[in-house]
Amino acid sequence: MLISRRTIAALAAALPFAARAQDLPAHERTLHEAARREGELTWYSGQYSAEHSETVGRAFTARFPGVRCNVVRSTSQVAFQRLSQDMRAGAAQCDVFSSTDFGHYSLLKRENRLLQYRPENDAGLFPDLRRADPDGYYHTSFMGLYLMAHNTRRVPEADAPKKWTDALDPKYRNQIAVGHPGFSGAIGIWAVQMRKMYGWDYFTRLERNRPMIGRSSLDPVTALNAGERGIGLAVPSSSTSLSISRGNPLKLIYPEEGVLATISPSAIPRNAPHPNAAKLFMEFTTSRYLSDAIRPMFGDPIHPDTAPAEGMRAVSEIRLISPTQAEAESGVPEVRELWRDTFGV
Amino acid sequence: MSRLILSNLTKRYGALTVVDGVDLALEEGEFVSLLGPSGCGKTTTLRMIAGFVPPDGGSIALDGAIISAPDSVLPPERRGMSMIFQSYAIWPNMTVEENVAFGLKLRKLPNAEVRARTAEMLETVQMAHLAGRYPAELSGGQQQRVALARAIVIKPAVLLLDEPLSNLDANLREEMRFEIRRLHNAFRITTVYVTHDQAEAMATSDRIAVMHAGRVEQIDAPHLLYARPRTRFVAGFIGRTNLIEGNVANDIFAADGFSLPASSMAGQALPPGPTLVSVRPQSIGLHRGVPDAPSGHPVMQGTILERTYLGESWDYVVSPAESGLRLRVAAPPLDVHDVGGAVWLALDPRQLAVVQ
Amino acid sequence: MALWIALALALAFLVAFPLIKLMIASVETRDGAFTLNNYATAYGRARYLEALFNSLKLGALSAAIATLIAVPMAWAVSRTDMPGKGFCWAMVMAAFVLPPYLGAIGWILLAGPNSGFLNVLWRAVTGAEDPIVNIYTFSGLATVIALHSFPLVFLFVKSALDLISSEMEDAANILGAGTFATMRRVTLPLAGPAILGGFIIVFLETIALFGTPAIIGIPARINVVTTQLWQFFEHPVRMEVAAAYAMPLLLITVAMIGAQKLLLARKGFVSQTGKGGERREIKLGAWRWVMFAWCAGVGLFAVMLPVMVLVQASFAKAWGRGLSVDNFTFRNYYHLLFEHDMALTSVWNTIWFSAAAATIALIIALLVAYMVVRKLSRFADALGFLAMAPFVIPGIIMAIGFYAAYASPPFAMYGTAALIILAFAARFLPIAFANASAAMRAVHPEMEEAVRILGGGRMTAIRFVTAPLVKRALLGGWLIVFIVATRELSAAVFLVGPRTRTMSVLLYDLSEAGNFEVLAAFGGILLVITMVFVAVGMKLAGRDFMLRRS
Repeated sequence: MLISRRTIAALAAALPFAARAQDLPAHERTLHEAARREGELTWYSGQYSAEHSETVGRAFTARFPGVRCNVVRSTSQVAFQRLSQDMRAGAAQCDVFSSTDFGHYSLLKRENRLLQYRPENDAGLFPDLRRADPDGYYHTSFMGLYLMAHNTRRVPEADAPKKWTDALDPKYRNQIAVGHPGFSGAIGIWAVQMRKMYGWDYFTRLERNRPMIGRSSLDPVTALNAGERGIGLAVPSSSTSLSISRGNPLKLIYPEEGVLATISPSAIPRNAPHPNAAKLFMEFTTSRYLSDAIRPMFGDPIHPDTAPAEGMRAVSEIRLISPTQAEAESGVPEVRELWRDTFGV
Repeated sequence: MSRLILSNLTKRYGALTVVDGVDLALEEGEFVSLLGPSGCGKTTTLRMIAGFVPPDGGSIALDGAIISAPDSVLPPERRGMSMIFQSYAIWPNMTVEENVAFGLKLRKLPNAEVRARTAEMLETVQMAHLAGRYPAELSGGQQQRVALARAIVIKPAVLLLDEPLSNLDANLREEMRFEIRRLHNAFRITTVYVTHDQAEAMATSDRIAVMHAGRVEQIDAPHLLYARPRTRFVAGFIGRTNLIEGNVANDIFAADGFSLPASSMAGQALPPGPTLVSVRPQSIGLHRGVPDAPSGHPVMQGTILERTYLGESWDYVVSPAESGLRLRVAAPPLDVHDVGGAVWLALDPRQLAVVQ
Repeated sequence: MALWIALALALAFLVAFPLIKLMIASVETRDGAFTLNNYATAYGRARYLEALFNSLKLGALSAAIATLIAVPMAWAVSRTDMPGKGFCWAMVMAAFVLPPYLGAIGWILLAGPNSGFLNVLWRAVTGAEDPIVNIYTFSGLATVIALHSFPLVFLFVKSALDLISSEMEDAANILGAGTFATMRRVTLPLAGPAILGGFIIVFLETIALFGTPAIIGIPARINVVTTQLWQFFEHPVRMEVAAAYAMPLLLITVAMIGAQKLLLARKGFVSQTGKGGERREIKLGAWRWVMFAWCAGVGLFAVMLPVMVLVQASFAKAWGRGLSVDNFTFRNYYHLLFEHDMALTSVWNTIWFSAAAATIALIIALLVAYMVVRKLSRFADALGFLAMAPFVIPGIIMAIGFYAAYASPPFAMYGTAALIILAFAARFLPIAFANASAAMRAVHPEMEEAVRILGGGRMTAIRFVTAPLVKRALLGGWLIVFIVATRELSAAVFLVGPRTRTMSVLLYDLSEAGNFEVLAAFGGILLVITMVFVAVGMKLAGRDFMLRRS
């Protein structure tokens, strides 16, 4: 009873997207047939926010009726922790694993945990995002831009930081909020990038400003909305923009050194219980329909057919910074430990 | 001046008057028992003296100062009294020594004095060797001694005891009875003792107040209470008795089967009219042949109707000839009579008490 | 005979095996060789030791605050003529059923140093710069935990106070102690074992608590044992290290219970029932209003304020904007009820897992209690001991034990509903057992013997006499287990799979997403469900079924 009501609601909400079987490209149609027999898939989602993830899950089921998407949204490190626990226990529960910490994938690939599959739609992504893995074990499903934001009531425009290093200014003591690399993948990547640019000293100095530490990279947005803190570090542009659109007194800051871009993939675990549904989901994430689904909520499109959301800067206009995948894989566990030593949690 | 005076003390619970105009005065150092069946108001009276229960009427005065009246009740903690409870109320979380020292510490006495007096008191109640024990490790009698020590050590103005022996077995009860009296003789603390056990009251008290239905029926020394009960209730409640109805006319008390000079009973003239007389079974002589009784001592022939052996004595029910009376008569164990046997009864007028 | 073997197996499965497995895992490498490296790793870093130390400090502080809160309440309710006792009960009960992590979120909204309502109000009224309360501090964390664990102390202490005869107090009064001196020097020391017991329970609950330290402790930068245990489950999952790290927690627990027994061994608190155990209410005069204010204050901070801000947030577009018409929305509830993929599934999971766990726990508890109370087997006491053992095992350790024992093949139960149900059943077995044996003891064996002498067998006796007599008490026990299971987080968080998430786990996941409005709405749903079951319980099992102590 519960399920049917939700299904109806989901269908009703996504009716404009609904595609009839004959509209699907041939490769998707074949996969859809196979996926329908599996009926569902479980998506460990650490990339998109809770709201975005739920929307994506519903859009997927709307486009491919008969295949439910179980959204298990958490921070990327928690998602990876769940996956590790599954693997440790020999349990197959996850069909698609999405993390903002792209270091996870080279590790999983090396441990031979992933299923090789290159979605055909991958070729339609922005050129820079295609073929994330030359061997086809994982594929870009997310591009997150992480920058700074301030609450304009607590920190006026003139006083707001302009660069990542401005956050170290003692005048921002007790004003800063930031996520935690032990939970958020993006924060881990960000910490690796900051360390690369400024050394770990960046964080020992940041610690002196007594930042409030959340778990998710979204936590600072909440703190800014509430007026608990004035400046958010490494906040996602999409959720912050969504928050602004809802009337919160927030403003984005594009740091002069560059905006952190986490171009992160998704992968199918080798033991996925619903491999066809998982493959279909990979086709979905690399098609324009994912980008279309997240656009109204200020998600950054990864497909060229989808225009950036209202009022968002196009990626081409922004200076982007990012560590390499190798740097991420070895760096994130390191900065996580360093972080805990520096901040105590 | 009396130490403790209860005047017209009254307590009602709703429509029920549980204490009904009680008057009582205790002299300094006196030991008075409140004796009566359950529900007679004795415990309520005691709790009013302690200050736990406010009176609805009358007053209580201690050394001349009113401490309880319907509008003003001095709280228990400021009365300088102490009390022994039915459950002993020995605090199980404190050692014997701590229990006894508690009242002294409250009085902010120097530690050395507290220790000395506690030790002395424990010595007195023969508990010194158990000073470090917890109450759970003590027998009932030992707990009782702790309760006594705790109450007496503070040298209270008045010591109150609420059925303190009712939770002990028979042997221990007897022992503790004498212990309580011994302590009283040693410390001479003015004491009010509530009990429903007349033997306890007799053994311990200077005077006994017999209570019934919220009233004091009679206050007297224990032997007088026994020998000279003044009411039918007291006569019946204290020991066993024969109540004989008769009539007084021209200084002659005439009952069914015998008569005697009325003044020989009470030592004074009695008003004419119906009169009730109490005579104890022990006070009636039982003889096989015609007894040689002084003049004025009535003698009757009778028949044994029933007999019961009670251990210390025989209890015979005798029906005097030409009389509707049935008299209980006590006799020593070797005075054996068979049911149906013929006997002679002799009455001593001095042992007869006129009751109301 | 067959029955007791079945029971022994069930208890071994639920209690003994996970614990033994945990101990073994702590001294094994992943390949099964003996090693002490896990302990070296677990205690090799200052940070890990500090987390342990923090937990002990937090446990002691929370327990102290909870005791401070609860003891005066228990005294006032049990022994005085304080007004509003019914209200007081309601507050204690509400604080008891309010999941601690929900309270924690309520307190973030109330006492965030800059945005919390209390601080906003404080600044508006006084013009002060500094906040009056800051939830993101050690004492803030301890207070929030205490505000939700004080009912345990209250229950312990109140039931002890209920047993003390008024003569104990009279005896002190007549020796010269006033009302408060008597309370301080006689009444409370008499309840000493209960106070100590309550303190220890809160201490143990606190060091095993996962949700509140994760939600408040991380922003406050306080790492504790449970959040550290969680870190050992990061990739690569170091379950063995977690097992080693959990051992002191287990030892501390056992040591504390042992110390309590030793401490109280000599003093005979049994006799506090006394004879002539008459009880009267102490007349407090004007002080009764002071006591009432205390109780009402506790109710305000433990229940009313957090629930009020949660309800406000759940209907808000942005909770920071406060109460206003244009900030009001049903969107959060709509999202959860009609759009969210897991919300309703988790509601359903929670209800049926909890119901199944309560049923299993109660059946086992009932059978064991029957054997123990009727002394049917000389092993009965051993079974009773096993049934009570989880009482001293912190929930999070239980969960790790279950993970160690049953997650991998040959059992391969990881992520299944069965594993969670069994873990819940094991975790709450002591509650069920305490209820069942109290109910059993209340049925005099002669009741059954009367059936048997007339020709009925034991089963007939149970069916027609015993069962009907204990029915109500058992229903109460079932509901308590059910209700505490619906809010259980620490046992669930390591065992759930994607489709077996419970409301508490989903709430935890939502709390990571930083969306307090949806989170509050989900908390609202959880509260409504709990309230429905509490109401049903009060109707069927008596008004005080949650708080009866057995």
